[in-house]
Amino acid sequence: MIKINFTVNNESVNLQVDDSLRLLDILRDELDLTGTKEGCAIGECGACTVILDGEAVNSCLILVCQLEGTSVETVENLEKDAVLSRLQNAFLENGAIQCGFCTPGMLMSAKALLDKNPSPSEAEIKTALEGNLCRCTGYIPIINAVKSASQK
Amino acid sequence: MKNERKFDARPKVIGTHKFVDDYHYDGMIYGALIYSKVHHGKIRKITYPNDFKLSEFTIVKLEDIPGKILIPEPETDQPFFADKEVFFYGQIILAVAHPNKNILNNFVKKIKIEYEELSAITDIKETLDNKENTFGKQIIIDHRRNVKVEKNWLKTHSVYYTPHQEQAYLETQAMIAKYDEQNEEMFILGTMQCPFFVKEAVETILGDKIKSVQVETSEGIGGGFGGKEDFPNLLAGITALLSFKSKLPVKIVLDRSDDITITTKRHPARIEVETYTDPQTNKIRKMNVDYRLDAGFYQTLSPVVLSRGVLHASGGYNIEDVYIHGRLIRSNTPPNGAFRGFGAPQAFFAIESHIEKIASELKIESYQFRKINIFRKGDEFPSTQKISEDNLFDCFESIVEKSDYLTKYEKYKKFNQTHKDKLGIGLAIGYHGGGYTGNGEKVLDSEIKIKIDKKAIVTIYISNVDMGQGAHTTLAQLFSETIDHPFELTNVHIPNTKICPNSGPTVASRTIYIVGNMVSDLARKIKKDFGFDNLKNFVKQNKQIFPKEFSAKYKPDPNISFDENTYQGTGYKDYSWAACAVELYYHADTYQIELLNCWSMLDIGHVVNPKIAVGQAEGGVLQALAYGSSEFFYKKGFGRMHGFTDYTLPTTMDIPKLFIDFIHTDNEIAKGLGEVPMDYPAPAVRNAFFNATGIFIDEIPLIPETIFHAMKKEKKL
Repeated sequence: MIKINFTVNNESVNLQVDDSLRLLDILRDELDLTGTKEGCAIGECGACTVILDGEAVNSCLILVCQLEGTSVETVENLEKDAVLSRLQNAFLENGAIQCGFCTPGMLMSAKALLDKNPSPSEAEIKTALEGNLCRCTGYIPIINAVKSASQK
Repeated sequence: MKNERKFDARPKVIGTHKFVDDYHYDGMIYGALIYSKVHHGKIRKITYPNDFKLSEFTIVKLEDIPGKILIPEPETDQPFFADKEVFFYGQIILAVAHPNKNILNNFVKKIKIEYEELSAITDIKETLDNKENTFGKQIIIDHRRNVKVEKNWLKTHSVYYTPHQEQAYLETQAMIAKYDEQNEEMFILGTMQCPFFVKEAVETILGDKIKSVQVETSEGIGGGFGGKEDFPNLLAGITALLSFKSKLPVKIVLDRSDDITITTKRHPARIEVETYTDPQTNKIRKMNVDYRLDAGFYQTLSPVVLSRGVLHASGGYNIEDVYIHGRLIRSNTPPNGAFRGFGAPQAFFAIESHIEKIASELKIESYQFRKINIFRKGDEFPSTQKISEDNLFDCFESIVEKSDYLTKYEKYKKFNQTHKDKLGIGLAIGYHGGGYTGNGEKVLDSEIKIKIDKKAIVTIYISNVDMGQGAHTTLAQLFSETIDHPFELTNVHIPNTKICPNSGPTVASRTIYIVGNMVSDLARKIKKDFGFDNLKNFVKQNKQIFPKEFSAKYKPDPNISFDENTYQGTGYKDYSWAACAVELYYHADTYQIELLNCWSMLDIGHVVNPKIAVGQAEGGVLQALAYGSSEFFYKKGFGRMHGFTDYTLPTTMDIPKLFIDFIHTDNEIAKGLGEVPMDYPAPAVRNAFFNATGIFIDEIPLIPETIFHAMKKEKKL
């Protein structure tokens, strides 16, 4: 067992958990934040992407021992007081959602990009989303959504 | 034609839309599948690890099945569990459940199964080349018309191969079973395309031990593409058996590695085409097609994939004398199943490649050659079904113009004479019959129900699922637009076999084409029967009538028929038509192709929601381009797969520019869209490469290895 203190969506979390757990397990099983999905468990699909200290990471590859003192942001943090973020709205407007299983991960990769680079080029958007697989859309509406959410 | 927003889009962006793994029931335990790790062998011994309390685990095997051991399928030949012999890597031998996921995983890892290994056939070409391994019913479409082959006619012969393709839905196969011992009822919740198929499978495995089975889909279905047509039957059966034995709710979520190793895939195919063309008219006069699918070890639903395959096997060309022979070949691989296209993408790869070959041998441009032979109104399929429209031709002409094909073809020919790297543009056409093949829709006898409450809120009850394709939103739109009722007041109930009638499975591009048109017809009937102009006002003035339910059954067209023995007649009442052009750059030093642009023109009739339709088409086209250019299993019989490391999918960095457009949208009927975008882009990739390099390739994908070997064969290295 291991004790950890970190923040999730700006709230302090103190847990004593099995030291073999991954960040993904903690979010889904311990904190009931099931918006983050597991698609492959080996960092290939990006469905479990969250933002860890400002960087988009695959939460299936982050072990609990790496979390002490960190700040984690998940898809549940994007909507504030029932108002969708500009990025979420852009996904809706551009038809960027089909089955929706990749959507939370896509949103978090896109947010990590826009937080650092509010006006990315198309190439920069593609690079930022390269680790997020989508089998439904063909990616184009997702790329367009990120473009429209960026500062003009 | 409105871009209404999908019902489920908002919950999906805030992370509240629930997929199977997001559901939890009190006392729920977790299950895992233990499967063969050899391609063929006799099971000698199963040893459970001795450092676990065996009594804490629920274990089920073949002998625990109280009902029937075979999974219901079009061909019921696959058992839920292997018995004493396994026939493919991935065949399920037993299933285990435990309250703790970690303990379960450790236990599963330590289960030791000893085999006496036996010989196995796993190589695709070796399998398909050997007719001795034919099994199941063969199909012949005989449209021979005694055309005499003249001496000067050009004989063109080739054998084309297509590989497995993985559906790669992002949400893996997952199922929950909850047994109610007191009432002898089983509740199933899962990610699936066909809730009534799953119900039948659970009833089959549990037999008379259970009084009723209720199946509901999870809120979210994380993609299907055909992969959740029949595998969920197997998974639900086994999950239900674990729940029945343990008397607890059981959840099984396959991890990606297990999912990609044991589930169904697109059938590999070997298609041999022989044609005779009159060089004076450039008309193909005679065609023979030998169409073979590798079914895997069991037939399961392969016979119906074969049906569709042979009915699309001669392509979009009017040929007087045609003979098509379809058969299934057995291999020691998991049974192949449904995947968007269902036998048609294999057929179009062969025919569209062959057309290029004939044109090059005739030394005419393939655009001209297609134009001479393409289906026109009044022509007929080998099944004798008449072509009732010119829409394939219109798609073709339109795509040639939109892609500026003829200019680019000439321009690239000049460019390629002086450059080591090459540029190419290639064409292909395709079509897809909507709904079940032949008499299938008549047999399905689909039913829908619509409920209108006192506030004029309309709820549509069907068994077809929304797996991301936007079907529920589109169905609601169809009701709403048919009688001008507010979309905001129209809903679709989550599919549940106890609450919703059986409107058939979510397959065969039939949800909008069959069920959607049933919804429109019923909406019109309700309006006519009550004689209202505005439903909302009518409900307000006649509250005593509501809530009220209305239902309708599928009405087959009495004027069409299909003979299941001779394959003569109407294979499909309506067809969606399409054409495309693909443009690519060939990097000579690395034998790599880089896809630049892909134009598609589709006729799907009435486009209900353009944004949803474009999204569907783009997704299908990208899957098809990847089928032609990059996706493959590198292991024979694939065996243990680790996931998307072993089987790579296109990412944002791999996509060309996609242009999607629709033609003849003034049609009253909404035709099928789900599958047609999968049917034609792969051969267009191959044809673009052929035009760029002159290298004839008879298989996909066009990965550097395929190109390297083809160049070596043609002694261009």
